[in-house]
Amino acid sequence: MKRIIFMLMIFLAPGGVFSSQLQEDRKSPGEKDRIFSEITTAATKVTTLKSDFVQERHLGMLEDVLISKGRFYYKKQDRLRWELTNPVSSGFAVNGKQAKRWDGKSGRTETFEVYQVPFIKLFTDQVFAWATADFKQLQKEYQITVLGDAPADLKLVPIRSQEKKYLAYFRIVFTADASHVNAVEVHETGGDFTRIRFFNAIINTPLPDTLFD
Amino acid sequence: MTCLLIFSNINLREDIRSLLPDDQSEAALDFRLLQQAPFTRKVIINLSCAQETGSSELLGTVDRLAQAMGPPFFENVVTGPSGPDIWEFFSWLMDQQPNLATAQDRKKILHELTAASVQGKLEEMYSRLLSPEGSALKGLFRADPLMLRRMGLEKVQFMNIIPKMRLEDNHFISTDKKNALIIADTSVKITDTHQARQLLGHFQQLVGAVVPRDIDVSLISGHRYTLANTDAIKRDVVIIIACSSFAMLVIFMLFLRTWGGLFVYLVPVSVMCIAAAGVSLIYETVSVVTIGFGAVLLGISVDFALHVYFAIKHSSSNPAGAIAEVSRPVLFCGMTTLGAFGVLLFSSLPSQRQLAIFSLIGIAASMILSLITLPHLTPCKKDANVFAKSAGGKRFKLASKWIVGAWLTILVICVWQGSRLKFDGDLRSINLVPQEIRAAENKLRQTWGNFRGNAVIFAEGSDLQSALETNERLFDYLSPKIPAGKMVSLAPILPSLRTQRLNRNRWDEFWSEKKELARRLLVQEGKVFGFSVGAFEPFFESLSEPSPPITAENLRKSGLGEIIDALIVRADDRVKVLTLVPDLPEVAALMDRRAKNLSGVRFVSQSRFSQIISRAISEDFTKFIAKASVVVCLFLGLLFRNIKKALLALVPVISGLLMMFGVMGGLGIGFNLFNVVAAILIIGLGVDYGILVVCRISEGSNHATEKAVLVSGLTTLAGFGALVMARHPALHSIGVTVILGIGAAIPAALFVIPALYQRKP
Repeated sequence: MKRIIFMLMIFLAPGGVFSSQLQEDRKSPGEKDRIFSEITTAATKVTTLKSDFVQERHLGMLEDVLISKGRFYYKKQDRLRWELTNPVSSGFAVNGKQAKRWDGKSGRTETFEVYQVPFIKLFTDQVFAWATADFKQLQKEYQITVLGDAPADLKLVPIRSQEKKYLAYFRIVFTADASHVNAVEVHETGGDFTRIRFFNAIINTPLPDTLFD
Repeated sequence: MTCLLIFSNINLREDIRSLLPDDQSEAALDFRLLQQAPFTRKVIINLSCAQETGSSELLGTVDRLAQAMGPPFFENVVTGPSGPDIWEFFSWLMDQQPNLATAQDRKKILHELTAASVQGKLEEMYSRLLSPEGSALKGLFRADPLMLRRMGLEKVQFMNIIPKMRLEDNHFISTDKKNALIIADTSVKITDTHQARQLLGHFQQLVGAVVPRDIDVSLISGHRYTLANTDAIKRDVVIIIACSSFAMLVIFMLFLRTWGGLFVYLVPVSVMCIAAAGVSLIYETVSVVTIGFGAVLLGISVDFALHVYFAIKHSSSNPAGAIAEVSRPVLFCGMTTLGAFGVLLFSSLPSQRQLAIFSLIGIAASMILSLITLPHLTPCKKDANVFAKSAGGKRFKLASKWIVGAWLTILVICVWQGSRLKFDGDLRSINLVPQEIRAAENKLRQTWGNFRGNAVIFAEGSDLQSALETNERLFDYLSPKIPAGKMVSLAPILPSLRTQRLNRNRWDEFWSEKKELARRLLVQEGKVFGFSVGAFEPFFESLSEPSPPITAENLRKSGLGEIIDALIVRADDRVKVLTLVPDLPEVAALMDRRAKNLSGVRFVSQSRFSQIISRAISEDFTKFIAKASVVVCLFLGLLFRNIKKALLALVPVISGLLMMFGVMGGLGIGFNLFNVVAAILIIGLGVDYGILVVCRISEGSNHATEKAVLVSGLTTLAGFGALVMARHPALHSIGVTVILGIGAAIPAALFVIPALYQRKP
């Protein structure tokens, strides 16, 4: 479970939604390879990303869906910023091995090394790993089903028993040209799930280093 | 030749234990306990990289090196905590709240069971649910909405055994991330020099094969100290014996210049072999310090041979008559020296007892060889009846006032300075610590904190539970006085089963009363943030779940195995639970204040141990001086039956001892274990000189006594002079102090006794 929440927002693209139903994998191995190859090729061209997002958290412990909004920034190789703007102002930024997190309400800011906070370390490891879209490695960890190719729609089911305890599957939908992730869904074994939709994404726009400090 | 053969096959040992009391004294007990402190017997390896190397390369190297380290030299190689990941540990910790929560914890929970406090916690929870870590933390929030886990985390703070340690990828890493640590066990005994050499050689090979050049590796263990000290002492022994033998040969050639003198020289060499062989027949292993002391024995044993030699050589009578005349003072000299060394037989220090045996055998052999064998090998020179007259009264008569005045002045200064003399019980000061080991120790301390220098408090019991109960009492006493980060204790995380049962019962009572209040507050305040009514049901369910007691085995499974093994020691059918605290006088004072009320608890530290040893040296020395004085005075009384002569014979001893105390006190040189031996030696030799000179003056015998005293004194100084060249602090220390003592005893015998004798006819 810990790993899956970090696979949410890697390749971002404007627009797009999940189809209402999951479809069976009808793709031949050759077609799957082609789709993976297109995604990998697109990923290598991304040096920076900037996107708004809306996160819906469907949790049994909450009466209502927990909706939050924010912005995500990524800069190759090892910088990212995850910033919530509503309903609370908080977030964290990672620059290599250094990290900072803040809480808008209390005004508290904390700098630390990534390894000191396991959740953030796992998050960043996953984000940076997905930035290369290494499907050979991903297929060792997940059984990947192609639900659709226009846009590319992948369902990933964990193979390792450790992850299977928490994670049922997750789903990533790309844009039509496979250059960005449009949305991510994370389904937990207990029935809770999280959906993140990305929009207003801009690729390869200059991002100041100060965003990540 | 037989003795030489045995001597060459002696099993030498360099073991600090031989220098310490082996009885039931406080020092002996503390030393044994210090051996049980964490890390004392561990091999600690620090890997250090330059800034640019990066922690990933460093940790990769740590893994490769740790993997390469295996039997027969290394066991239980640890690079980080073992067991489940940190989240599973926290989950386990939360399940243990009923067993761990103290009255103070329950009070704190009650204090926080208010609407405002619960709202604050729920708001924090809500905020964190929005973040990426929210999904992972969800279960934790449901099971622990009141954040009781923080109390558990406070208890875990007492388990941080290495102060400046951080964890990265489950490795021990320093805060600057430039250093990583490997801790290993080894079956190689610290005192086994042969195996220790193999261990260190093997380790160097591993480092050469596995570690890149830009990563520096240092190994800290007792084996390095043992090897450094053994090598230094062995080197010193060769140098000392070679130099002292050469110096004595030069003295003989200057003063004797005859072939017969070579036989005199053979006496101490033979004595050395006989004494060493004799000791090796009694003891399985012989301390290298004992053999190093052979130089001293060379110096003593040659005295008798010299007196016999000069008596025969310069005697006006036939050789048999000369022997008859000289045998009395020589025998008495030998007996007083035997008496002085005999005192050491009753020492609580094994090394001193061995030294006593070595010396007694050597001195006895020296007397036998000098009085029985040597006369057959020494030519008689009938026309040499000269020295006694030339060395006689007039010169001393003229200078007697000045001599006595100068002597008294020096003694007064020495008494004044001697009052500053301090007893030094720090064993480290008599141990050779090479620069590279010192630097490695300093670096380890700076990087990781002084985790090897903590004081240790032992809470002892007949079984684990009684030891844990004592440990709890200790913790209750110390915890309000020592901050959490400064004390390592098992008490907060492993209370005794009795305490756990009490805690559980009170926990159940507490929640049976407060459960509904908590539920009401969580539901009421939870609504504000949209939490469902059953959101925290796992928490309420857990309150009624049974909580099995915590055992040492549970803790091992939870990843705390290394700490448990370090802090629980089983030996001699007893169990000791260790608490680590800073080795500071204030902490020692805290323990002293409550020593009576904390039965089964013992505070042990390097500083305290040094103080105990200092006190033991001081007490031992006083006893030795008293006993040796009694023995010496007894023999002097028997010999002279005249109080004036007996007192005069003591002049060299008093002069030697006061000079030694005065110079050492004035220069701030501490008086250590080895100086005690040296002092006894000064007594033995000084009295010899006194007896011979008083006999010569009072009885008017003409055996070139002054020349014999001078030559034997110079020979002794040559022997001790060689000890000064030793690199090992212990041997060096003997050399320095005895040179002072004997250096003063010789002129006192040759000039002060005659001067005083003339003044008081």
